[in-house]
Amino acid sequence: DGVAVLPAPQNLSVQSTNMKHLLTWSPVVVPGEIIDYSVEYQGEYESLYMSHIWIPSSWCSPTENPECDITDDITATVLYNLRVRATLGSQTSAWSTLKHPFNRNSTILTPPGLEVSNDGFHLVIKLEDLGPQFEFLVAYWRREPGAKEHIKMVRNGGVPVLLETAEPGAAYCVKAQTFVKAIGRHSAFSQAECVKLQGEALSL
Amino acid sequence: GQEFQFGSCRVEGVVLQELWAAFRAVKDVVQAQDNITGVRLLRKEVLQNVSDAESCYLSQALLKFYLDTVFKNYHGKAAEFRILKSFSTLANNFIAITSRLRPSQENEMFSISESARRRFLLFQREFKQLDIEAALTKAFGEVDILLTWMEKFYQ
Repeated sequence: DGVAVLPAPQNLSVQSTNMKHLLTWSPVVVPGEIIDYSVEYQGEYESLYMSHIWIPSSWCSPTENPECDITDDITATVLYNLRVRATLGSQTSAWSTLKHPFNRNSTILTPPGLEVSNDGFHLVIKLEDLGPQFEFLVAYWRREPGAKEHIKMVRNGGVPVLLETAEPGAAYCVKAQTFVKAIGRHSAFSQAECVKLQGEALSL
Repeated sequence: GQEFQFGSCRVEGVVLQELWAAFRAVKDVVQAQDNITGVRLLRKEVLQNVSDAESCYLSQALLKFYLDTVFKNYHGKAAEFRILKSFSTLANNFIAITSRLRPSQENEMFSISESARRRFLLFQREFKQLDIEAALTKAFGEVDILLTWMEKFYQ
């Protein structure tokens, strides 16, 4: 059995944006050698009921990079423990465990990208495709004093959506926010994007 | 967004489709191990015509039984069949649900909670009548019956 002479990876941390979770750590350096890393996780169930059980990460057991996309491993809105160790041939380091367990409800939600277009009669938008976890709340209004704001829920990004059959020559503004069911949270609204039918999009 | 509404118990932050996807990934492997085809643990008498008010008590009792007994003792088989990832998804989402369920403890709810408890005891009695290995395999294989019932309260 390999003696743990390799130093354990340090500075584990998780960066999570829009439900994509990336575990990173400081690389273990042995001049002239390629180090492999193995990542494992346990959810609240494992840590409560069987704390000796750890599950190999889907994509990083092993990996050569000092980072791991753990998005596919985090499949519940509970606390997850994460650990990494280094391997060089028969030598393995001790495990390094993330100091604070990670919960996907801490992910950073950014306002969605938004493209507004028109063919003179129809106001059409296309929202950024952020994956199946995301729904969108779209607010739009005619750019004139006292105009009423309309709301529309959009289930998927990445596909054109007809907002309204609009009046030629009128100007409309649109903004959107994301909503993530899995964590019950929504992002801030995007900047409003305005367009004059039969004209170019006007950015505020 | 969608959430579970078991009567007055509301549970956000759980995506039922994630649970279905996890179970469907292992359904064939798990149900193939169940040789006692004539017995069903989650029978009609347990899950049929459950009132909204009862549903919070019954879902808590059933999910806690799955966490404390079924998953806990089936884990070895899950490792053997190499289905730990799906197993972990189900177990951790059951944790997410039970940790957010707050059934009312008020006196006027006693008869309703008792009715839910009788339903749960029907299930538990059926479970105990089987050999433990067979019971664990059957109960894990019946997660689709449980999810189908829970889906009625997912709005």
